[in-house]
Amino acid sequence: MSVIDPRIHQVLDGELAAEAVPAELRPAVAQLAAAAELLAAPPPGPVVSLESRVMAEIRRPAPSRARRMMRWLVTPYAIILRVRPAWSVAFAAVVAALTLFTAGDQGPELAEHEGIAQFVGRFPDAQSVHVVGTFNDWRPGSIALEDQDHDGVWRASVVLPAGTYEYMFVVDGERWVPDHLAERLVADDFGRENSIVIVRPARR
Amino acid sequence: MDVRGAPPDAEVVALVLAGDTEAFGFVIRRYEAGLLRFATRMLGSRDAAADAVAESFVRAYRHLASCREPARLRTWLYRIVTNRCKSYLVRRSVADVPLDDAPPVADPADTEAAMERADQLLLVERALAELSPDKREAFVLKHVEGLSYEEMAAVTGERIPTLKMRVHRAREALLKVLEDHA
Repeated sequence: MSVIDPRIHQVLDGELAAEAVPAELRPAVAQLAAAAELLAAPPPGPVVSLESRVMAEIRRPAPSRARRMMRWLVTPYAIILRVRPAWSVAFAAVVAALTLFTAGDQGPELAEHEGIAQFVGRFPDAQSVHVVGTFNDWRPGSIALEDQDHDGVWRASVVLPAGTYEYMFVVDGERWVPDHLAERLVADDFGRENSIVIVRPARR
Repeated sequence: MDVRGAPPDAEVVALVLAGDTEAFGFVIRRYEAGLLRFATRMLGSRDAAADAVAESFVRAYRHLASCREPARLRTWLYRIVTNRCKSYLVRRSVADVPLDDAPPVADPADTEAAMERADQLLLVERALAELSPDKREAFVLKHVEGLSYEEMAAVTGERIPTLKMRVHRAREALLKVLEDHA
């Protein structure tokens, strides 16, 4: 319950002209506006730019994947993990297919630490679908999915070092969507839901 | 910093993603003042705010490809800084604002009006520090950074009615302090 006249809020929210409120309410409006103005003023003292500090950092080569993975493993994160039982059967099928695929004689020659990630998405109206993620630094365009039989189901098999990766699909070069067939989705710092794929080594 | 003549955000983002690392300087010069002010008000410390904003810029650069709407880069940056400030406050375990930077001390040569202004600022800063982080964030985004409620929703991930309620509560708390000291 508001303890000040709601018209004060309306004025400060730009929903009511200041002249439209009674004179006795105007000092409160003025006090709050003055407080905001004080807080918005540049602080006293020398202005220190962060540009040189930030640019020095980003000009350095990005840490290696192994280092980033290690940091990811040891850094505490607040994540929202949503398990979707309805999709678990489909996910199990994907995992089974992945297992069969990696166990077969056909397919690319893999190093000991590598495995194959299969990406499958249904986008009936799409002209192109790409997958982006922590394995390609989220750069669109590098890994394309194909829909060879034009049934709207797009697929790609990618050889990756064994590990856990976050990823999304980029549809028609502009629409970023998570893979809802993934069993795990994580929320990142930017408010997105990323899908998770775990790539296991083909040979142990 | 002079950023007149700098290309629009979407163009800068495209340049950086195409490999022009130096173009990211436009982003820093354009937004650092506002982001530093916001982080300072959230954390109550200019040093902590500088660390938070610098880390946020580096993070933004590293994840720039995931900025879905480059034309709304400003909102995206505020979101990153907001999250960084929240992490900092959680790590500090007590979500209060220490005001550990030296308060504005009035120089003897200052006019009476300037000294009064410095006192008022200290009062407002202390009142702001008393607010919960959520209310402080809402008030600063709305009234110090001048974001619309729609932009605030994009920054915080909260619903607009929730944000309005937080801003209203923050105003009421601030007004009470100001009136008590009037």
